[in-house]
Amino acid sequence: MSNQASTKPFAERAAVALRDTFLQEALTIATTKFIGLRKDSFAGFPQGEALRDRARAIKEATLQRLDDYLERLADNVERLGGHVHWATTGDEARETILRLCRDRRVKMAVKSKSMATEEIELNDALEQAGVVPVETDLGEYIIQLAHEKPSHIIAPAIHKTKGQVADLFSREVGQRLPADPEVLTAVARKELRQKFLQADMGITGANFAVADTGTIVLVTNEGNGRMVTSLPRIHVAVMGIEKVIPSMTDLMVFLAILARSATGQKLSVYTTLVRGPRQAREVEGPEEFHLILMDNGRSRQIAGELREALYCLRCGACLNVCPVYRQIGGHAYGHTYPGPIGILLTAMLKGDRAVKELAHASSLCGACHEVCPVRIDIPRMLIELRHRLDRERIAPLAERLVFKTFRRLLTSPALFRLSVALGRVAQRPFVRNGRLRSLPLVFAKWTRTRDLPPVATQTFTQRWKGLR
Amino acid sequence: MATRAEFLERIRREVRRTPGLFPASAAERPPRPAEARAAVRRQMAERWPEALERFRQEFERVNGLFHRAAGLEEVAGVIRDLAREKDAHELITWASAELGLDLRGSLESQGLSIVAAPADGRDDARGRYREAAARAPIGVTGADFALAETGTLILLSGPGRPHSTSLLPDTHVAIFGKDRLLETLEQVGIMLEALHLDAARSMSGSVVSFITGPSRTADIELTLTRGVHGPKEVHAIFVEAR
Repeated sequence: MSNQASTKPFAERAAVALRDTFLQEALTIATTKFIGLRKDSFAGFPQGEALRDRARAIKEATLQRLDDYLERLADNVERLGGHVHWATTGDEARETILRLCRDRRVKMAVKSKSMATEEIELNDALEQAGVVPVETDLGEYIIQLAHEKPSHIIAPAIHKTKGQVADLFSREVGQRLPADPEVLTAVARKELRQKFLQADMGITGANFAVADTGTIVLVTNEGNGRMVTSLPRIHVAVMGIEKVIPSMTDLMVFLAILARSATGQKLSVYTTLVRGPRQAREVEGPEEFHLILMDNGRSRQIAGELREALYCLRCGACLNVCPVYRQIGGHAYGHTYPGPIGILLTAMLKGDRAVKELAHASSLCGACHEVCPVRIDIPRMLIELRHRLDRERIAPLAERLVFKTFRRLLTSPALFRLSVALGRVAQRPFVRNGRLRSLPLVFAKWTRTRDLPPVATQTFTQRWKGLR
Repeated sequence: MATRAEFLERIRREVRRTPGLFPASAAERPPRPAEARAAVRRQMAERWPEALERFRQEFERVNGLFHRAAGLEEVAGVIRDLAREKDAHELITWASAELGLDLRGSLESQGLSIVAAPADGRDDARGRYREAAARAPIGVTGADFALAETGTLILLSGPGRPHSTSLLPDTHVAIFGKDRLLETLEQVGIMLEALHLDAARSMSGSVVSFITGPSRTADIELTLTRGVHGPKEVHAIFVEAR
């Protein structure tokens, strides 16, 4: 689906989103609500700012010794009887899971929300292999039934109306259901409860993995993460290598800011710390535990320009505040990870070419940097990305020429003065009521959606002289 | 598929290519966790009344239902009333030894049937418990920690203390005493560091569950709905006599 979406150019996808009136309203309501919840939560939490600095430092410190921490994590998981798989690519991660399904005769797999499995488009692969994947997060369940992709990292189905959800669920249970969230949630509870109890495999991501103890940490509100890790006989966790943190002490720092940044909660309802398979004498828990450590392009950025994007906790705060995301929503980005951080993660996972257009889907206003719990400087990296697209000649020729010309003009005072004088004359036929509303030729695209102020009759330097 | 050695070698190569963005260190673990834990306990032995009040406030803020009981009899009374209110006839519980009290005497005489978790994981016992857990409307557990600043119940799983007791029933009841109260996440960190170093525990595959109120979702048009997968109600019973 995501690949299908990305075959259309970004501008077209964005235009579709802008014409969708329900989406426009849903986005405004949801993002405004999340912004308010986050703000209130941090307002009553004076130590929050210091904790954000500490969390950032922990992420950086972990990257500085990532090899050691991964090794320690793997040792501890194995010591507890778990299996560790090393997946250099997304394909390898997917193949590992498919092989496990084949060898263990898995017919149904229940999943809790995981961006890592979205990244490797696991559900399609499972279906093709004859395994029924069941998304159990309510939002993910909805979009699975609708054969769509999540449109927000933490609220995957914000683009769906309750009427649409009622239609989807009615079809699934063969009975007409009302468009009432309470009723629909109860239906999902009943449907999915059976699947939790029947499934052979539980598949999760990991919000964190604690190297010291070999613990996988899952943060959910619904409780599906707990079901998926305790009821099926096999548990498979897929995580990007950057999710490892050193210790339980570090974990507490992240827990204190993660839910506040995402939903404004002090803690999400469930934080589940899972270690290995069921141990002797335990009543419950899986017989087998598999941890898939996935690189998929991440390690290239350890010493790369996108290093900071490896700090990301996937809280979604930068989506809510982004003036571009708020207008176009997640689908228009056309890749697994939407929003400002999504542009960087897409570049990381799929290469610069994949974000040729997306690199410009930001006003560089800095709101994302301000709300990021680990203070990732997203605008800085977006600018570097644009620069690289230009340098590597991935950007379109016209764009490169415009920037080249612009640089010439701005770096030479004489040329700059000349161009201003010429512009002042050339603009005359196009000024209406003190604005440039419609320009010809290559400039037409710019004025199609916005006005320009005209070149002033006097330059600042000229006026300055006059003032004195 | 890369081998572990190849995979780690690639990471190591990349790590060595850069000094990083800025000098940074991870959070400092308590150098002697057992001593740090003892210090927290001493602190809380004094401060538990404030912590309890804060816990109650925060727990209620996340829609938890708080009860205070003088002793075992009152605990049984709270559970009996709840069962009546829910028209429930069956309860699942942690093993009595793990719960720290035996509810059977006082509740079975009221016509409630109680399935306690088996103290070991033999297959037949496991199957029976799972069936009961899938059916029972109320699950009763202890709580290893009650975290005041967030209103969170923290439960360690293990023999006799399955996680489904606090997960599958519509109503979860957790019973705890003053020695379980903590004030901050930082203290939880100390407890978990110490726990990890306990030789007996470090090999156990225990799951640690942080539970902050009833299961909830807002995935349909941001309408807050309770009990999507986990319990719809969470009760905490504070027992004074403990």
